[in-house]
Amino acid sequence: MNDLTPDDPVLRITDLSIDFPTAKGVVHAVTDLSLAVAKGRRVGFIGESGSGKTTTALAVMQMLAPPGRVTGGEVILGGTDMLALSEDEMRRARLSKVSYIPQGAMNSLNPIMRIEDQLWDGVTAHEGARPAEELKRRSDAVLESVGLPARVGRLYPHELSGGMKQRVCIALGVILSPDLIIADEPTSALDVVTQRHVMQTLKDVQARIGAGLILIGHDMGLMAQSVDELAVLKDGVLVEHGTVRQIIEAPAHPYTKDLISSVPLVGGPSFLDAAATPAAAPPRETEAPLLEFRGVTKRYGDVTALQPMSFALTGDVPKIVSIVGQSGSGKSTMGSLMLGFTPPTEGQVLYEGADVSKMGQAAALDFRKNVQAVFQDPYACFNPFYRVDHALKFPYRRFGYAKSDAHVQEKMEEACEAVGLDPALILRRYPHQLSGGQRQRLIVARALMLSPKLLIADEPVSMVDASLRATILKNIHDLKDRYGISILYITHDLATAYHVSDYVIVLYQGHVAEAGPPREVIGDPQHPYTRMLIDSIPWPDLDRGWGTPSTAQEDAERLDRFARETRTVMRGGIEGFTLSA
Amino acid sequence: MFGIPRSYLLNRLLTLVLTIVIAATLIWIIPRLSPVDPAEIALGRMASGAGSVAGSDQILETLRAQMGIDQPLVVQYLKYIGGVLTLDFGLSTASFPTPVSQLIAAALPWTLGLMILSLIITFVVGNALGAFMAWDRTPKLARVAIPAAMIFTSVPPILSGLLLMWLFAAKLRWLPLTGAYGLTVEPGWSWAFVGSVIEHGILPALSIVVVTFGFWALGMRGLMVSVQGEDYVKLAEAKGLRPRYILYKYMIRNAILPQITAFALKVGLLVAGQVLVERIFAYNGMGKLLYDAILNQDFPVIQGVSYVIILITALSVFLVDLLYPLIDPRIRRDARAAKAEAEA
Amino acid sequence: MTDKSTDVTPPHADGDLRAPATREERRAAKRARRFENPWMNPKLYWGAGLLLGIVALGLLGRLFWDMDSVFTGANLLKLPPVGFENLRGQAGTFANPLGTDGAGRDMVALLSLGAPNTLYVGLLASLIGMSLGIALGFTAGFVGGRVDDVIRVLSDVMITIPPLLILVVVQSVFGDVSLTLMALLIAGFVWQSPTRLIRAQVLSMREAGYVQMARLSGASTPHIMFREMLPNLVPYLFGSFIASVTTSIVTAVGLEVLGLGPQRVPTLGRTIYEAIDAGALIQNLWWWWGLPTLLLIVMFLGLLLVNLGLDEVSNPRLRKL
Repeated sequence: MNDLTPDDPVLRITDLSIDFPTAKGVVHAVTDLSLAVAKGRRVGFIGESGSGKTTTALAVMQMLAPPGRVTGGEVILGGTDMLALSEDEMRRARLSKVSYIPQGAMNSLNPIMRIEDQLWDGVTAHEGARPAEELKRRSDAVLESVGLPARVGRLYPHELSGGMKQRVCIALGVILSPDLIIADEPTSALDVVTQRHVMQTLKDVQARIGAGLILIGHDMGLMAQSVDELAVLKDGVLVEHGTVRQIIEAPAHPYTKDLISSVPLVGGPSFLDAAATPAAAPPRETEAPLLEFRGVTKRYGDVTALQPMSFALTGDVPKIVSIVGQSGSGKSTMGSLMLGFTPPTEGQVLYEGADVSKMGQAAALDFRKNVQAVFQDPYACFNPFYRVDHALKFPYRRFGYAKSDAHVQEKMEEACEAVGLDPALILRRYPHQLSGGQRQRLIVARALMLSPKLLIADEPVSMVDASLRATILKNIHDLKDRYGISILYITHDLATAYHVSDYVIVLYQGHVAEAGPPREVIGDPQHPYTRMLIDSIPWPDLDRGWGTPSTAQEDAERLDRFARETRTVMRGGIEGFTLSA
Repeated sequence: MFGIPRSYLLNRLLTLVLTIVIAATLIWIIPRLSPVDPAEIALGRMASGAGSVAGSDQILETLRAQMGIDQPLVVQYLKYIGGVLTLDFGLSTASFPTPVSQLIAAALPWTLGLMILSLIITFVVGNALGAFMAWDRTPKLARVAIPAAMIFTSVPPILSGLLLMWLFAAKLRWLPLTGAYGLTVEPGWSWAFVGSVIEHGILPALSIVVVTFGFWALGMRGLMVSVQGEDYVKLAEAKGLRPRYILYKYMIRNAILPQITAFALKVGLLVAGQVLVERIFAYNGMGKLLYDAILNQDFPVIQGVSYVIILITALSVFLVDLLYPLIDPRIRRDARAAKAEAEA
Repeated sequence: MTDKSTDVTPPHADGDLRAPATREERRAAKRARRFENPWMNPKLYWGAGLLLGIVALGLLGRLFWDMDSVFTGANLLKLPPVGFENLRGQAGTFANPLGTDGAGRDMVALLSLGAPNTLYVGLLASLIGMSLGIALGFTAGFVGGRVDDVIRVLSDVMITIPPLLILVVVQSVFGDVSLTLMALLIAGFVWQSPTRLIRAQVLSMREAGYVQMARLSGASTPHIMFREMLPNLVPYLFGSFIASVTTSIVTAVGLEVLGLGPQRVPTLGRTIYEAIDAGALIQNLWWWWGLPTLLLIVMFLGLLLVNLGLDEVSNPRLRKL
């Protein structure tokens, strides 16, 4: 444990406690937390939202949001007691002693200032006025150190991509070579390939200036690939602290064990327990496939969101087909086309042989009855004006299933219980009174209650806390296994797609890169794009390589080449689903 | 032009042209819906002056021809639009045969002067106060005192005008009651005249300022509160920038942008309010001209004044729209930046 | 800060929470409660109170005062309120407690008829304007395409045209109008703001998860508009309504002060017009123009307070802790 109690740490936190007074009383956000960060060392703070990981880091900078306040303990940074600093002394310490890399890089830069101005004002705030040439030289150098060309300095934030903005924030964090860098989920909004590039850049510049790094996050895999030590927080208490190897290989606290086991791994053990005898698909009246795409193309202005695509899902045996892609791949456009929310530019979307965009009223209602969806954002899916049962009751009545109020109530309760929710506690609440996980399960319960023939699940777990993801995916998987519902699972996450699905389609910029059964496509990728995606995923496995800053940069550059290439690698087929390239 | 995208420019220009045409058309159509014959009104006025007029039918026809209302409506409309575009509104009926444009030209400088002065003062003062109200470093006393000063927001300027006029002109006799300059001074570039103009301008300008600055202050306060929650302000604090610098460069600079858009939407109402202030102060501007024209049923003048004020409003909106991209880079597409991006 | 709360037993089973004990904490808790129920807002109460006061004045006046003394020559001319003297040395009497105007009309009667009339014009005009705005805003947001373009451009254009100046042309041509006609005319100029607001909200709400959910549930377009979207627009609609009541009254008063609008019905603006015209300011007949001005200010103050309160309802960030 010598590593963890260094003689001369950059940062030493002793018995730190932080309180937030609220209407219902005082919340102890952090309780008696002690920890030290050595020079040049990377420490990960991991925990769920509300665990106190960000609060602790902000306390180091005296940047707690009111009404939060430190009620005890001390924070020593490089020999200075940070909590005793006056406001102006604290201001001087920020950026020069301790810098902060924010989570929402999308909005973290002033939209009306050029990038270089935002680098310069940081320098002049601490070092006073500097000659223009010196400022220019320093901003160019720091941009280059994060892999950005000097001309980026002349641009405005809206002219940069998300990954570029995040790298500007990193450049800002190291421009004055601070003793400590605090990075608050710096890659949470980025695609895996970009995430790897940004993370590698951060590690690289941090090592170069020899600063300590606190990396805040919730992704065990990302932590494993990025930090030396790991601090696990739960409800404001540090439950476990050790080297990353120690924690991943031999977690002591049950919460840590949960965190590690909740990460689905490609090739790892499945978190699903398959039913012994899968349910049969609901009886069908027609020979036509349940859902069919015939040369469907979607363009928005000059941008092609989806290249011509044809597939048929027969629906005779329930299947889960995953559509995997990063943002901008066209996967959500596909979901929207399938639900009839957007008409295709060319081609046809057919439901049981009928064109979805040309349906009469009766046919459209029948289509709605049988094709349902679970969306990404569980917060937005409930109308804040109504109690949550509105979302379940209304379609049940509208589709004519309801026999009486008592019948609706009984069905709702049944569906809640099936997804592991207590109906008495949930149904009469308003949406803001439920957690994200509860809401998403309620949406799954809604799908169950309506028992459609087909369910489109568009990123159903990406906005839910990690520990709940497996449960919700299990709920969704049960829809197929127990109720015979076919599912199209749209996701950016290859690992869950690997476990859940019967067939996987990997999309890149509107065309299919690779498709086939998950064990072939994800377990043994042939297309270079699929391979790059899988290599970019951070695994909670310390012996697996995650590339270097230069390979990460190369990969990021290779992405552009894939966009011009439209080769599709077709792997094995399955019964009940055919994709024609 | 200055890197402003062409589509934005065309869009704004279209709005300007449409505003002018719609306003002109409305002003033209409305009197035609009335059963009253303007020629008869003019005749009636002549008759009341001269006792009786012989051969009134003939005179009526002459008058109609003079006013151009004997022609088909389409011809009248096109002639009217043509006239309006060249700022020719025909002849005043009350002070016949003075051209309306001449009357307006005499009144306009007064109105424009008062408008530019009062609009700029309210906008600057209001936004500055709003910004300080929201800033968490402003002394608490000021944060309580400023909202108290805003109690008159949304009271129209005529009412504040009446109160100020009563207090400072009628009661205390510190400032003159009415007019744009004293009756004893000769208009011209003399100190006496300029002094008199300033003295007469204080109350009208003040009555607009005291009730409108609160509108800007309240709007700015709301925007500042939103901006304060933005990630870029939090990062600016984490950068250790000086609080004052953050206030100006990060908060006010961003919060002011929607205020400028709001200015474009509000300017019409502000100008209308000013017209009324001019009327109660008998200020020699458009408001008085309009009021006298209403008393005398002088339609060409009413039309001309209304049209010119709407034109001023539309032009100021257009001007604001043109300036906006210069302070918001997200609308301006700097040619160099676009090129740099293309190379990337 | 000393923590006196250690001896207080936590009211919740959850050890994380304890009762606020210090005065500061109690005050913070009170503010936080207000934060959670936005409608519990003193600004709203005060504003609504002032407006109801105006309505009450109208009702009580009609019940307890002789409304016939509103006619010309019903009383002595230019009498001051009780306790004051006019320039001619006449003292105020209880027969006309607030004095009389230049035509001998009783101020109490004039105000208790005029103030509700002014409020009526404002409310009616903005009710109609709002309805137009809701209809156009929803149409633009839902139909889209050309229809949306036309509505958008038209409301952009009309918002820059000051209603007063068009209405000056209208009313100078048509002469005397009734209160209702005046409200209708003003309504033609207060639909733009609500239209723009609702259109913007509808466009963003169309993409909202719960609207997509409703579509999935087979909801009809009217259901989505009125049952899913409209309830969430309520605070905005209220705010917009109050703003257009203010604009309508300002416009109405403006027209009246120019000598236009209803000529035979008492309104606050008309009374002010007559007072200015008769030189009441110089003659120090302050009650003649001052009382209607005061009532108008009370009315605008009430509207402002309601609007500020509603702002805090729809923008939680303005409710500062």
